[in-house]
Amino acid sequence: MGLRRALARLAAAAEAPVFPVIGAGGRSVAGEIALLGGVRVVDSPRAANVLLVVGGITPGLLAPLLQVHDQLPTPRATVWWPGEPVEHQDLRTVLGEVVVARPGDGDTLRGVFAELVGGGRLSDPPALPDDEPAEWRGVGPYGQGGTGMTGGVPYGRPLAKRSPDPDGLELDQLPLRIGPMFPPLPPGLILDIALQGDVIREVAVGDNPFLGHPDGPAPAGLDTALFLEAARRPQPVATIELARARHHLRWAAGTLRLHGLASESLRVLRLARALRPEHALEVETLARRLRGRRSLSWATRGVGVVTPAQVGFGPVARAAGVAVDARLDDPAYDGIGFSPVVNDGGDARARLRQRLAEAAQALDLANRAGARVRQPGPALEGPRGPLSAGEALPSAALVDLLPRLLVGQEWGDAMTTVASLDLDLEEAAAGARAGAPA
Amino acid sequence: MAAFGAALTVVVAVGLGVLFTRWIGLALDSATLTPPERVPFLGGGQPEVHAWSRFHVRYYAMALLFLAFDMEMVFMYPWAVVFVEEGAVALAEMLMFIVILLLGILYAWREGALEWA
Repeated sequence: MGLRRALARLAAAAEAPVFPVIGAGGRSVAGEIALLGGVRVVDSPRAANVLLVVGGITPGLLAPLLQVHDQLPTPRATVWWPGEPVEHQDLRTVLGEVVVARPGDGDTLRGVFAELVGGGRLSDPPALPDDEPAEWRGVGPYGQGGTGMTGGVPYGRPLAKRSPDPDGLELDQLPLRIGPMFPPLPPGLILDIALQGDVIREVAVGDNPFLGHPDGPAPAGLDTALFLEAARRPQPVATIELARARHHLRWAAGTLRLHGLASESLRVLRLARALRPEHALEVETLARRLRGRRSLSWATRGVGVVTPAQVGFGPVARAAGVAVDARLDDPAYDGIGFSPVVNDGGDARARLRQRLAEAAQALDLANRAGARVRQPGPALEGPRGPLSAGEALPSAALVDLLPRLLVGQEWGDAMTTVASLDLDLEEAAAGARAGAPA
Repeated sequence: MAAFGAALTVVVAVGLGVLFTRWIGLALDSATLTPPERVPFLGGGQPEVHAWSRFHVRYYAMALLFLAFDMEMVFMYPWAVVFVEEGAVALAEMLMFIVILLLGILYAWREGALEWA
């Protein structure tokens, strides 16, 4: 058994493959997971041994979480970073063996993984009952569940229905519900889509899982919390601008990961974590380096074009050439040489360039603002659009845009488009619930 | 007889090999999966329909174009054989031929035959 122990020790020394599930209030910590040493963030539960639940699990997220939990291969373990408000469902009552840890605690993740593969810890039992969703055993002439391969019900699941294709063919249309824990999509986004091959024919946005719990956490857990706070209380301009630059860089890191540039993404995350106003040059260098990446340009050029008529606020509108910015009417920005950055095209590539340019500009502004303090009153330009009392938060309007943008796109372009809009379902829910950030 | 012995050895060895790999497969397959563990990953849901679906082979136009031009290349074989005898005349003729083909590709490109979706 010496060999078995040696193999277990070897396996325990490897990076812990972790599949993160982001719940309510977990978005602000999510960017840090990839930076933990000895931990590898994977894109599918099939490749993970540790399920990491960040933040609170709302009723809408519970059933999908159990499904994802069961899709981790054995041996598996669950680690929960509940964060501050533990007012949601206590995971320990549903999943049994859950290791609760402080958010950002990488040692627990590595420790749990080492115990798991070293044999010191038993694998989590399945959370869902061992039932077939559709009865099929013994049905049909060969016990295969249906009456035939075409038009039957193989394994208890019916085949897709046919519908016309633009080329005049009748082809199968596969109805799928994607999300809310599908990594290329923002956490919580559910898309009901109909796929013909890799082309999306129909799109509907599913119910927001962060909605429907009126006693849920206040928008304090949002990744734009600092901006919502600044809309109500005096806040130094330098702090606001530094947070804006950090937000845009974290978003850029997610986009780069989506495009397969994982190490570049890590580099951007590291820059975002240690970001200071003096880093304007680094951000400009990054923007120039990404401009030079042909593959990234090709994958984003002309994809997901948003016209100014569709969205008239925030970086999305500015990437389409409209110089709208709440900072123009903000006295706190008078006299420090602020003028909005704009791009043209309004596609995913323009939005990437726009946000990187805005991050560099924000650091520049933070440098020039000195000790200037912004007073509440006028609308505050948040990283997704203006935040003002009595108006919905910007994410809600962007989510509503999805069906029109995605229909007719290929799968990869659709994922690029969704990522390029920088959606936050929690912000959308918070806006819908309160009607106002205040 | 020696050949028969060799054949017998091969058959027995292959048979043992098959049994051994089968045994390894069974030994490793100790974890039985529940139905929720078996379904494809969709981000927390279950598929409603089976994924046996007929989809559009979108590269068919490109495949046809490739085949057509691949066959044209066959004409280059006899040309290569007589190239040394004919010299510059053969070169000019082949250039004309290739330019005509190139115009064909440009036309197909303009008509959108190289578009994927």
